[in-house]
Amino acid sequence: MTEPLNTTTASFDALYRDCARDLYAYVRTLLGDEASAEDVTALAFERAYRRRCTFDVKRGTRRAWLFGIARNAALDELRRRSRSAPLIGELPDELAPAPDEEADAAVRRTTVRAALATLPARDRELIALKFHGGLSNAELAVLLGTSETNAGTRVHRAVMKLRKACHAPA
Amino acid sequence: MRQRDPLSPEEARELDALERALAGDPVDSDLCELEQLVVDVRATAPEMNPGFAARLEHEVAEGFPQSQEHPVPRRRSRRRVLIPAGGVLAAALVALVVVLGGRGGDDSTASTALNGPPSVVDGAGAAATSLDSAPAAPARSDPEAALPPSVPAAKEKSAAGSVAADQAARAPQRSSAGASSSSSSPGSLATQSSGPRKQERSALLVLRVPNAKVDATSDGVIRTVDRFGGIIASSSSATQGGHGEATFELRIPTGKLDDALGALSRLGHVTERQQNLVDITGSFTSAQDRLSDARAERRGLLKALGRASTQRQIDSLKARLRNVRSQIARLNGDLEALRRRADLSSVSLTVRGAGKQEPGAGSGSGGGWSPGDAAHDAVRVLEVIAGVALIALAIIAPLALLAGLVALAVRATRRRRREGALDPA
Repeated sequence: MTEPLNTTTASFDALYRDCARDLYAYVRTLLGDEASAEDVTALAFERAYRRRCTFDVKRGTRRAWLFGIARNAALDELRRRSRSAPLIGELPDELAPAPDEEADAAVRRTTVRAALATLPARDRELIALKFHGGLSNAELAVLLGTSETNAGTRVHRAVMKLRKACHAPA
Repeated sequence: MRQRDPLSPEEARELDALERALAGDPVDSDLCELEQLVVDVRATAPEMNPGFAARLEHEVAEGFPQSQEHPVPRRRSRRRVLIPAGGVLAAALVALVVVLGGRGGDDSTASTALNGPPSVVDGAGAAATSLDSAPAAPARSDPEAALPPSVPAAKEKSAAGSVAADQAARAPQRSSAGASSSSSSPGSLATQSSGPRKQERSALLVLRVPNAKVDATSDGVIRTVDRFGGIIASSSSATQGGHGEATFELRIPTGKLDDALGALSRLGHVTERQQNLVDITGSFTSAQDRLSDARAERRGLLKALGRASTQRQIDSLKARLRNVRSQIARLNGDLEALRRRADLSSVSLTVRGAGKQEPGAGSGSGGGWSPGDAAHDAVRVLEVIAGVALIALAIIAPLALLAGLVALAVRATRRRRREGALDPA
């Protein structure tokens, strides 16, 4: 993950294959609706492709760099949306559990989805970056512009909020 | 960057368990709930629509041929324009500072660099606006060596080796001529006051010649002064560290000053040349007016004396007449001194010997360009370059610091605005 991106497009393809699903999951969790998530994901990859020569390995990993671009695009989308319509904080229906899943797991996941939807956007973003994006605390620190310790603290508190929300009565 | 309280040991343990669960490693049994939470949250991860995934993969493979936003090369082209523009701006700033710095160096001393028009010092509230330009000659300016408004009449640095005789005998002739002029009628005084402006000019000239040529050049100075009808107020010569030096305090008729300076400059290599100008028209006019008033008063007193009938009146009028006469004599002297300052320009000339024997320094004229001169000029050029670089650094460093701070502030503001979208409305 430390090799520069500006050599070939093959390395960008590798980055795409490594991160595309995680990135989409993060963006979708942050934005809520599918159409915006797809637009922002595509925009993030395009920006990353155009700016691949500006990637500096000293400033973090390629994954953190890509998530940083996606985060800026997603936050811009949220700002644009907040000016025109209320923020959509609910997860989409299509994320409902499949009918053949085990009953317990289905209940738990439904609970987790509902709990995630009740979290503040900042905490929901942290959960998405950590759980869906798979970023380390160091990568989170770069992304959030804070220290690694502080990033860990924020993740821990967001997880605790999620646990609490999962146990809260419906 | 917000700081939070550090994690407690229990919180650190939970965070560590979370990391292990995310990595797929087993966690402590009492924290298996966290492990389950990781599994459940990951299971809720939204999946990409297959159609969108295929479309995106195609875009990546093709290098995003249909851009959703402005392509980056356009930004680069803007940067290509901005960077040279910034460079030109910085260069213009440096040039401006250098030019202003060069002008600022001679303001207090009222001196001018070589070939430039002489500076005008308004001695009586009115400045002259035109002056003949001096003939060109290579030299460097030295603001510290400005010539004072009135050069001391006699300045002997060394008694040994006097090279010229005092020719002050010419001065009385001029004084008498001035006196006859000043004793003219009030009507002619009025005409004079509306005539050309009275300006006192002075100059400083430093010549460098080979050591062996100092005496010959000094003789050339005397001949030149004679040729232009000037006088040598004082002169001296000295030898220091094997280098000879002769100094002259000259009085040159103002009308011939430019020609005389040109001739003197040709006697050696000019290393310094300055010219000053002081407008003394106001002082001259004021002295003329006071003289006119005193004369009118004298005429009135003489008439009154003719009409006086008692001895007491006569004595009183005679006493007043004595006062007025002495006043007229003093004013005549003042006026003559001013006229002499305007008619004769002071020139401080130094002939400085350089090197042991400089064969390439020219013959009688001593104006050759030697390797020593080249070395001196090279050092001077390097000094100027270093100065300009220092000035540029002094400008660019604070600007760069300021730009860095602004960039940081803009970045922080932009981040805060973006993250503001995560806060509830």
